[in-house]
Parts: sequence; C-alpha cells; structure tokens
Amino acid sequence: MGIFDIFSGPDADTVARRAAHDERIADIEESLRNGGVPAAIKDRLEGARSGRRPWTATLRPAELLIARSHGLKPIAAISATCWLHYGWSWTNGHSEGWNMALSRMREEALAAGANAVLDVKMRTIPLDVENSMDFTLVGTAVHVEGLPPSREPIIATVPALEFVKLLEADVVPTGIAIGAYYEWMNDWLNNTNLTWMGNIESERLSQLWEHVRQRAHQNLRTNARAQGNGVLAHLNFSEMFEREGQNKQKQYLARHIVVATTVDAKRGTTIPHEVRMVVDMHAGRSPLVGTAQHHQSYASNESEGAI
Amino acid sequence: MTDEMPAHAKDRLKGLRSSAHATGVFTSDFSVNEFLLVRKAGFEPIGLCVGTCVYHVGIQYRSWSKNQELDVLSKAMYHARELAMSRMRAEATAMGADGIVGVKLTIKRLEWDEHLLEFIAIGTGVVHGEGHTGFRAHDGGPFTSDLSGQDFWSLLHSGYRPVEMVMGSCVYHVAHRGILAGLASVGQNVELENYTSAMYEAREIAIDRMQYEAEAAKAEGVVGVDIHEGSHGWQTHVIEFFAIGTAVLPLAEEIAPEKIPNPVMVLSVND
Repeated sequence: MGIFDIFSGPDADTVARRAAHDERIADIEESLRNGGVPAAIKDRLEGARSGRRPWTATLRPAELLIARSHGLKPIAAISATCWLHYGWSWTNGHSEGWNMALSRMREEALAAGANAVLDVKMRTIPLDVENSMDFTLVGTAVHVEGLPPSREPIIATVPALEFVKLLEADVVPTGIAIGAYYEWMNDWLNNTNLTWMGNIESERLSQLWEHVRQRAHQNLRTNARAQGNGVLAHLNFSEMFEREGQNKQKQYLARHIVVATTVDAKRGTTIPHEVRMVVDMHAGRSPLVGTAQHHQSYASNESEGAI
Repeated sequence: MTDEMPAHAKDRLKGLRSSAHATGVFTSDFSVNEFLLVRKAGFEPIGLCVGTCVYHVGIQYRSWSKNQELDVLSKAMYHARELAMSRMRAEATAMGADGIVGVKLTIKRLEWDEHLLEFIAIGTGVVHGEGHTGFRAHDGGPFTSDLSGQDFWSLLHSGYRPVEMVMGSCVYHVAHRGILAGLASVGQNVELENYTSAMYEAREIAIDRMQYEAEAAKAEGVVGVDIHEGSHGWQTHVIEFFAIGTAVLPLAEEIAPEKIPNPVMVLSVND
C-alpha cells in the first residue's frame, strides 16, 4: 500500500489479506480457548510428520547426529505462548503463565505425533505492556523410533545431547516445575531502621527472605512431585522492594521464583560409560557445556545488531 | 579420501585462488578450530564473500489498537536480505566456490536516517578439495549455510549436507492497550487473548515462510532453527518475528556411510 492509496480505499490484495488475517485470528483464539491447536499450525505439523513438507529442528548438527544415532527423529520446531495480565499477583502469574504455555506445547507435540519435545527454551519478548508478560516456550518435537506416538509427550528443557546422556543413565527428563512465592511485610515497629546499630544483622529482612525462599522451594517440590522424583538445573530469580505505607511505616515485598527441569531417576544407577578427558573443538557455545542459555526469560534475549 | 590430492584438483584450486586473489592468498574469518575442521571435512577455504545492501524502508500506516502484519516492512526486510545474500553468493560464484559456510547476517541502523537499514551478509567461500560438485545447491550455485566450521563438519558426519540458508520474516504490529483499560482494576490474573493470538499468528507466518523456502530449495529438513524476535529501532509495538535455519539434504554418495564414525559420549569436566 503506497502513501496515496489510503484515499482510494484498499485494493483486492489488501482485502484478501485482511480476510485471511481475521480468519486466522478467530481460529487461533477459538482453538486456544478450547485447549486445541490452531488449524494452520496443525496442518504444518501434519505436513512435517508425514514427510510432505520438510522437517524442522532447533537442534545443532552435533545434536542431530546424536539424535539420529539414538533413534530420535526430529519432526518440527514447535512453540507455545501465554500472555498473562497479572492483575492479582505478578509472582503467582509466573507459575500460571508457564504452566499454561506448557500445556499448550504438549498439545502441539500431540498434534505432531511426537513422543518428546527436546531443547525447550523459555523465552520472553521484551515488549512493555503494562502489568503483563508473555510466557513463551520453543522446542523441537521428536519421534522416538519404535514407539507409538505418546498420549503424554515429555517436555524436556535440556538440549538433545543432554537428553541422550540422561536416557543412557536411565534418567528421564519429564518436564518443568515452577515454585513461586511472595510476601508483604509491614515493619510496624521500625525494626529495619538500623542507622545507629553498627554491624548487625537485619533480622526482620533475613527472616522475610528465609521464609519466602523456603515457601517457594516447597511449592517447587509440590509441583515437581506430580512429574518425577527429582529436579535439575535450577534457575533462581528473586527481588525485594521497599515502599512507604500509611504513617510512613515501611513495607517490604519479597518474591522468589524457582524454575527447574524435573527428572525421573532410578536411585543408584550410574552412567554405563567411562569418563574420558577430551578437547572440545567447539568455539563458544559448546553443547557440552551447561544449559544456562536455555532459561533466558529472566534476562533480556535481545542482542543488539543481530538478525 | 586419498592422502594425495589429484593433480587436476590442485590445478583447479590454484586457478581459483589466483583468479580471485592475485597473491594466491585465501581469506576467511575462521578460528583455528574451524579452519582445521573444515579441512578435515575435505574442504578448502578460498575467500571471504561479502554482500551488503543499504535499504530505505517505506512507511506503513497502522491502526493503534489493531493486531496486524505490516507487509510493507515484511517485504522490505525480505527484499533487503535477499539482495545482500544474493550479492554474497554472486561473489562466491565468481570465485568458483562450492559453498559458503559460517554466514553471518546482520542489520545495522544508520544513525542519520531512521528509515535506512544496512544489511550485511558475510561468510567464507569453500571448495571441495577433490573437486566434487555434488555439494552445490539445487540450482548449481554454491550452497549457503549459517553453520560454523565445526557445525559444518558435524552436519556432514551426521549424513547431511547444507543446501541453503532459509528464513522467514513477519513484521507485526501488536495492538496497544485499550482492552486492558477495563481489566486494570480487576484483582485477578487473566490471559490477554488478543496478545497471545498476535504472537501465534506472527510466529506462524514467519515459520511457514521459512518452511516454504526450504521446500523451494528441495530440502528434506531444516537444522539449527532459531525463532526469535527483534526490533530494529521501530516503535515499541512493532516487532519482527524471524525464523532462520539451514536447509539440508541427506548425503547420497558424497560420503560413504561407513566413513561416518559412531559418536563418542563425553561428560565435560569443564563447568
């Protein structure tokens, strides 16, 4: 549409595009509300599963190699989003948001005929919309050779290499567990004012932190128990704020969020391989090293100048 | 692979190098590991290939409160990238390269004009050491790939070869609040459905376009897919959804399957 076209009204192409947009949006909203997968996505996943269209995978080539040698066939890169407005609680919203995104990702994995989703990354788009945030997951749906499509696909936040390493050690990564907790504290007696006290612990604030962290981890355990018997690779996020309430008395908000990969591990089994020392030829982001970059939603994922 | 390179291949390489670079020097942006692994894969670097494009992005009107794709911007991002990529590829073709590895595609904003964007595609042109032409893309030109030298080696040893860097772009305007106004006072957490569906639509358009490019390149699959969002100095609610990856095909006769080693599992003792 050029600059003068706004006077002559939309052309046929624009009209068709708008109609397609309205139809797509209606379908997406309808599907998500009913816990289903939008038609366009379903069609793409079906095409990739049947081989009618190319498969897609977020895996790097080294991961593709290990996936193939262990009978994992990539089907499609899948994703899920929940954009949540936290009118009630920011902290609890994080638990709700991720859990909603997880269940949507599970639906997409089902539609792709997958047994598991690997390499699941937690992401957030840096778009500042008041009191809200999006919870986005991106990963690769895979089919495990010799197994029928699963009714309950595994969501694994580890890269393919680590997924295989875990499986070889008889450990199954099963999902994501979230523990979130916050608490307000009113400092009625001005106990946090320690101006003339010299070196001394601020006991009220220590207690607040202790309590909030313990409760968050308690929530994490409850959430994890439904999915497996252990968690790995913690991500911790915490914040504390001070504000002045009525009568100039201080109020403190402490919040703590823990996110972790849940695993189902048989106790007492060790890896069947010898550990060997090797030189890693990868530059920079070696898939051998950690999963830190996988949970980047609590730091900006926007890199200046990159595509 | 024989230890001795055949004479005709040597001649060909010598010719290629001297025609592109009178000094017989090859240029690359490889690290040491990358260089060694590309050579181990049977390829020789011949020269850096660069393509640039300075693009003036047009104006598009959008309604403040509506989710919509900004097709003028989508087309601009596509067209400019295409120009930069094809110029880089033309340079590689002139050098006689069989492919380009480690392509980096970057976008810069030129500071004196907010509508001007500079696109740069840069990668290292390589030739097969034995003059095998089976690695070229479906149109007979050099393959392109954003995989590093290490990834290139790994890909070949997982039984695939790169064909083409494929991408899909969708520049999208996410509606401003308005529907939010009524919610702000309500003391509960609710999903903002129209924001969620905006994300779904924009992302789906980008992924679908990428997959379409892979189909056009007659690929079997796409590895290293990255789906991300960027804002190139646009107003806050305008976001580019970008899907990028390398389209691949299975190796037919280029590397015999028995030459592909079994992977060795390693537990890294680095942290």
